[in-house]
Amino acid sequence: MFYAQLFVNGLFQGLVIGLAALSITLVFGIARFPNAATGDSMTLGAYAALAAHKASGSFIVAGLGAASATGIVLLLAYWSVFRKLAGRSVVALLVASIGIAFLLRAVLGVAFGHGQQVFQIPLARPYIFGGLRILPLDLQMALVALVTLIAVFGLLYLTAIGRQMRAVADNRDLARVSGIRPGRVMVALWLLAGAVAGIAGMMLGMKTIVTPEFGWEMLLPAFTAAILGGIGSPVGAVVAGLILGAMQEFSTPFVGFTYKIAIAFLIMLAVLLVRPRGLFGRVEGVR
Amino acid sequence: MEAYLVAIGIIALIYVLLSLGLTLQYGLTGLINFGHVGFFAIGAYTSALLVMNGAPFIVGFAGAALLAGIAAWPIGLVSLRLRDDYFAIVTLGFSEVVRIILTSERWLTNGVQGIPGIPRLYSDLGGAAGQIATFATILAVTVAAAWMIRRIAGSPFGRIIEAIRDNEEAVQALGKDPPRFKIQVLVVGAALAGIAGAFYAHYITYIVPEQYIPLVTFYVWMAIIMGGVGRVSGAVIGSVILMAFLEGSRFIRDVVPWISEVDMASVRIGLVGLLLILFIIYRPQGLMGDYTKR
Repeated sequence: MFYAQLFVNGLFQGLVIGLAALSITLVFGIARFPNAATGDSMTLGAYAALAAHKASGSFIVAGLGAASATGIVLLLAYWSVFRKLAGRSVVALLVASIGIAFLLRAVLGVAFGHGQQVFQIPLARPYIFGGLRILPLDLQMALVALVTLIAVFGLLYLTAIGRQMRAVADNRDLARVSGIRPGRVMVALWLLAGAVAGIAGMMLGMKTIVTPEFGWEMLLPAFTAAILGGIGSPVGAVVAGLILGAMQEFSTPFVGFTYKIAIAFLIMLAVLLVRPRGLFGRVEGVR
Repeated sequence: MEAYLVAIGIIALIYVLLSLGLTLQYGLTGLINFGHVGFFAIGAYTSALLVMNGAPFIVGFAGAALLAGIAAWPIGLVSLRLRDDYFAIVTLGFSEVVRIILTSERWLTNGVQGIPGIPRLYSDLGGAAGQIATFATILAVTVAAAWMIRRIAGSPFGRIIEAIRDNEEAVQALGKDPPRFKIQVLVVGAALAGIAGAFYAHYITYIVPEQYIPLVTFYVWMAIIMGGVGRVSGAVIGSVILMAFLEGSRFIRDVVPWISEVDMASVRIGLVGLLLILFIIYRPQGLMGDYTKR
């Protein structure tokens, strides 16, 4: 029973990791670099959600605030930085994304202070399902994650711009000669990746305490899930996030709470050694 | 004032050592090492613990270099056959894991409280003379490291690693094994970072895991990007600029005292971010960079 409870808790944790990994894998698949600003984008989402929640008292408004603020900021980052680096090496984009991450963290630190902030959530008694304790908050967050995922996958698989995004991810040159305008795809990508990271940040903030550094610490688990799921595979990222969340919770009784992130790192190494293309990844000609 | 300048000089030289390691790894070979601070931390803790348990300094420093190099070995084996960007993520993760281990293994590292009272080099010489002797020692080691890297760059080995940076497939087609060269470079660079860490521990005399955050890695990246990638002179000049920046941002508080200490830390992180972005976009070769290529 104890392990079943850990498994369920892990799945809820895994939703946050999965959403963060989804944001990473979208950028990696289409813009072709690992976006190290994802963690701090989550922080931005959490603060935006906090502000929106304080102003309105509604979690729906908070979620919309997180998604739009983070989406817009990442779009600005694309326009002002990443677009200028098109055609340069991966390291240029990677270093620039670290720069964006630091800049975001600095602005958030000055704007919102360095104290710990929490969402004002009314306490609620957990539901008991066959001995499993499940917090209503977790269920609500699972619902938020589900709505986000439906929106993202709906956009990717049912709309024209989603089809174009997948085409660019598949083969950029072929997409280009087919008349797909890369600029519009990039705008859609950054709005979408930002919105997803923002929602993930809000969810993480509701589960823990918000500080200017807290998103950065999610970067390693999120990268691990993106690699485990197969870079560029949105379904893989979400599934791998759930698996990783469960594995991290399972490991806690054995190695202790502080080594959670180390577990993610070991899993990343193992995946890279055994199956670098991940669970759902395709073999692709690199570069 | 003199003591202050010597103190700054010592820290600047530690950054030069770190930058030289990264120059070898990234500048010459093209390895995107985002976990430099992890090797720095291993060096600092190794030497501090060895010397505090009775080993002579030379053993502490050798141990620092050795252990940092050994730690780099498996990281290289696992990840160097993969793409560059994966290597960046893996090394970044490695340095975070090192910090977690330093925080968690209290029996060895005293956790977040850190290790106070690490012996200084030349403490028997007394304050000012000891400082100057320390400075001279670091200077000698740094010059030796710079000379070594210049020698490496001019050697057949150097031509191969530069060729790996520029076109790995071509090197492979010539029958060389790029991962083997990359691992050697990674280990040597890590050992340099380990030595830098040992100097740091014995100079600061107090180490805590919080000193080894990824920001330090990106200080070093900032130094080599500003100074000029792949040049020994770039590593030196970049470190001097970095030092001026770090010290200068401390003096800003004397001019604008209403900024609190934590806000100042934020401003510093923000400036690092901004400088990284601006240099990468507008001046990727840095100030001393090689403008003849590309």
